[in-house]
Amino acid sequence: MLSKFRGLILVAAAVPLLAHHSFTMFDMSKQVTLTGNVTDFQWTNPHVYIEIDAKDDKGTVNHWSIELGSPSILMQSGWKFSTLKKGDKVTLIINPLKNGQSGGFLAKATLPDGRTLGNGPGREP
Amino acid sequence: MASKTQRFLAIVLLATPAIAFAQSSTDHPDFTGVWGIYRGGRGADPKLAAPPASPLVLKPEYAKPYEARRAVEAEAAKRGEQLANASVECKPYGVPAMMSVAIYPVEFVQTPKQVTIIAEAFSEVRRIYLDRPQMKIEDVAPGYYGRSVGHWDGDTLVSDTVGIKTSVSVYRGIPHSDQIHITERFRLVAPDILHDQITIEDPVTMEKPLTYTVAYRRMQKDYEMVEFVCDNNREYVDEKGIVRMKVENK
Repeated sequence: MLSKFRGLILVAAAVPLLAHHSFTMFDMSKQVTLTGNVTDFQWTNPHVYIEIDAKDDKGTVNHWSIELGSPSILMQSGWKFSTLKKGDKVTLIINPLKNGQSGGFLAKATLPDGRTLGNGPGREP
Repeated sequence: MASKTQRFLAIVLLATPAIAFAQSSTDHPDFTGVWGIYRGGRGADPKLAAPPASPLVLKPEYAKPYEARRAVEAEAAKRGEQLANASVECKPYGVPAMMSVAIYPVEFVQTPKQVTIIAEAFSEVRRIYLDRPQMKIEDVAPGYYGRSVGHWDGDTLVSDTVGIKTSVSVYRGIPHSDQIHITERFRLVAPDILHDQITIEDPVTMEKPLTYTVAYRRMQKDYEMVEFVCDNNREYVDEKGIVRMKVENK
């Protein structure tokens, strides 16, 4: 009976904790620092976004879209809908998109008042 | 004298239904409130954490294509790609997956006749009716939540769900038929720790039932559930079936 089942046991099942998507599209081994002005702070689901104009090493301004967790998740670690507004100067450390587009996943944000915030519980700065 | 006794009896009789009601509503634990996912962790009482899940055993004819699909997903993940799934499109999770979405809390509203569960993620709502029998599977319109009825087994609320449509991922995308049957046992293992023991059975696709437990801890009393409307989904699926993120073009 046991041998009959042996080939069929696929995985030792674990509690499935689902998320909206995996992080495979971001290069979690690489970090990029962006300093610039917030052009939009989107307090939305399924994700919060920081749109930012940041200067690169040559002084060229590039626009970046940075993904955060959801409002619910972020509120558990100090973020609010009013934490950022258009025109705020911030420094963001991000994990960039692997496909080379100007987007990424937030690792750490330094706010205009000097406070630092991460990207939700378990992703603290 | 006689009239005094009669008056006393009348008072007792009038009071009895109220006492009986109060007893029956306090016989059961009250799950009302907001519950966050409890992961246990260092120093935690192991009795309060979710016990390990049972093995997943599909019938061979369903196991092979499922394993093949998982292998393709794993290969894609190695290349840094995620393949499309329903949640990327902001579709709801349904029963039972909505009970354990990341670290989102769930709110229980318990009355004598119904337990309503509201998940913060995607604002999903399910209802467990306590005052009526289950219907035949073929009489329940297939959907994300199916039809749940429940009863009390001592201190445990036992819920029975049928009518989950086959396109809804109940557990890691395993194949299931319209004959799927989900049994849940909700129980307080400590005053502020709730377990939902979930058993998924499917006579068509599964060789054995699958059982796993989701553990919750009561959130602070003044916690207010956060709304979740998926109106800014910037994840999309490209022509190759890979999940991408839209960046703003400027």
